Amino acid sequence: MARRSAYVVSAGFTKVAEHWESSILDLSVEAARKALQGVPKLAPQQVFVGNMFSSAGASQEHMGALVASALGLEGVPAFKVESACSSGASAFNLAYSLVNSGAIDSALVVGVEKMRDLEPEAVSQALAMAESAEYTQFVGATFAALNGLLARHYMERMDVSRDELSALPVLDHANAVAAGHAQFRKAITPEIVARSGMVADPLRLFDCAPVGDGAAAVVVANDSGASSAKRAKMAKVLGGKVSTARFSVYERDDMLDFTATRTAFKEALKQSGLSPQKVDFVELHDAFSVVGALSLEAMGYSKKGMGSKDAKAGKYGLKSELPVNTFGGLKARGHPVGATGVYQIAEAYLQLTDQAGGNQVEGAEYGVTQNVGGVDTTSVVHVFGRAG
Amino acid sequence: MAIQYWRIRDRYYRLVGSKCAKCKAEFFPPVYRCRKCGSDDIKDAEMPKTGKILTYTVLHEPMPGFEAQAPFPLALVKLENGATVLTQIVDSPEESVVTGAKVRATLRRVRVDGDSGQIAYGYKFVVES
Repeated sequence: MARRSAYVVSAGFTKVAEHWESSILDLSVEAARKALQGVPKLAPQQVFVGNMFSSAGASQEHMGALVASALGLEGVPAFKVESACSSGASAFNLAYSLVNSGAIDSALVVGVEKMRDLEPEAVSQALAMAESAEYTQFVGATFAALNGLLARHYMERMDVSRDELSALPVLDHANAVAAGHAQFRKAITPEIVARSGMVADPLRLFDCAPVGDGAAAVVVANDSGASSAKRAKMAKVLGGKVSTARFSVYERDDMLDFTATRTAFKEALKQSGLSPQKVDFVELHDAFSVVGALSLEAMGYSKKGMGSKDAKAGKYGLKSELPVNTFGGLKARGHPVGATGVYQIAEAYLQLTDQAGGNQVEGAEYGVTQNVGGVDTTSVVHVFGRAG
Repeated sequence: MAIQYWRIRDRYYRLVGSKCAKCKAEFFPPVYRCRKCGSDDIKDAEMPKTGKILTYTVLHEPMPGFEAQAPFPLALVKLENGATVLTQIVDSPEESVVTGAKVRATLRRVRVDGDSGQIAYGYKFVVES
């Protein structure tokens, strides 16, 4: 089969914030319009909406047709794609696969989540639906609780200190200062992380991505679909893979081995033909500090037990060997769950088209995005390069 | 208690998991397919009631229905047969809830669905003194 090429030809997003004045549809339309305005001659042939809990958060399902109709795209196929916190990247992966295969020439991908309309306990309940109703939710374990169990196991087994675990949240906040769309644009110190309120011991508030509303959108097209787009404003999709692991983290032989990320990263890189060393930046799924660290280990950028330690040593800063979370990652840009994967892809697009402003990774040629649902239950990795 | 949970009350009351009829491996939570040998011939089996804490957390921000209990400890307990159970730890001094502590299963009230709702019971674990 002749391989076609697929590109991200445009991106748009809302600020991640407490959008009291905007509905889930308002946010979706705002992001989608911004993305579509970048390619005015392109009419997307399909719409994919990445979203986790529109039913719990906004009493709304049927998001595909709802968004397509609001945009005046009646007639095109439109679906919601759900894989918990990796819904956004899963939606993109389906769009990319169809465009890359030539089944369609272009698609609009919208990731959206409305979280803040819910009380905090209800947000916990909605997020916990990513985990087993019968054996996780039933006993009163939230998603943060599972990550708290994981964090203690990581710290005790790998001798990781509180300050080392804090390194990724500190890095995220530093990178978000110049990011206009980030939820928290304030630098923090390890002391602030260590003094923040306890959520699920040992995880504190600043180990955890915040609750927020937001939407991000990208347009993906192949050579036929992208004919009207400017090459300098395109990023090429070099590979993409979704992988799933044994469902609950406590059912696995080694909880610290993120097999879904390991497999997705390996396969996506293989498709791209790149070695891991060629990658210039990674947009990492650090919904919790420990998850970011274990993800870096699963991708092989840090050795086992070294993810947080390497971050503390400065390996992953914006000006360092391998910048991660160039706009603040999940902790500081924010984590409107179903939208996050699309934010990451939009950010990679900005980097590879030199539109990243104060967050630009100079000379970036290749970037990786990693979006996770559950505790590395679903992992979605994409590899991007310049189109020119 | 929602029907969803009533349906599997034996799993909650007596810690009934799965046993592979072919290779005899045991699992909790129950499985549909053996994770050791791949067999689909799976039977119900009651799990051993003792084990050790593999790791634990203390949850300060609970879900609806658990507010009155918070903060409360949750642990992963490795049972004697190797199965790992996610469970609350109850009736145990705070300092006794540590990695490696020996624990034993007990039956407790897990949640109450509102003022007039049903009361759900299930397993919790106690640290052995």
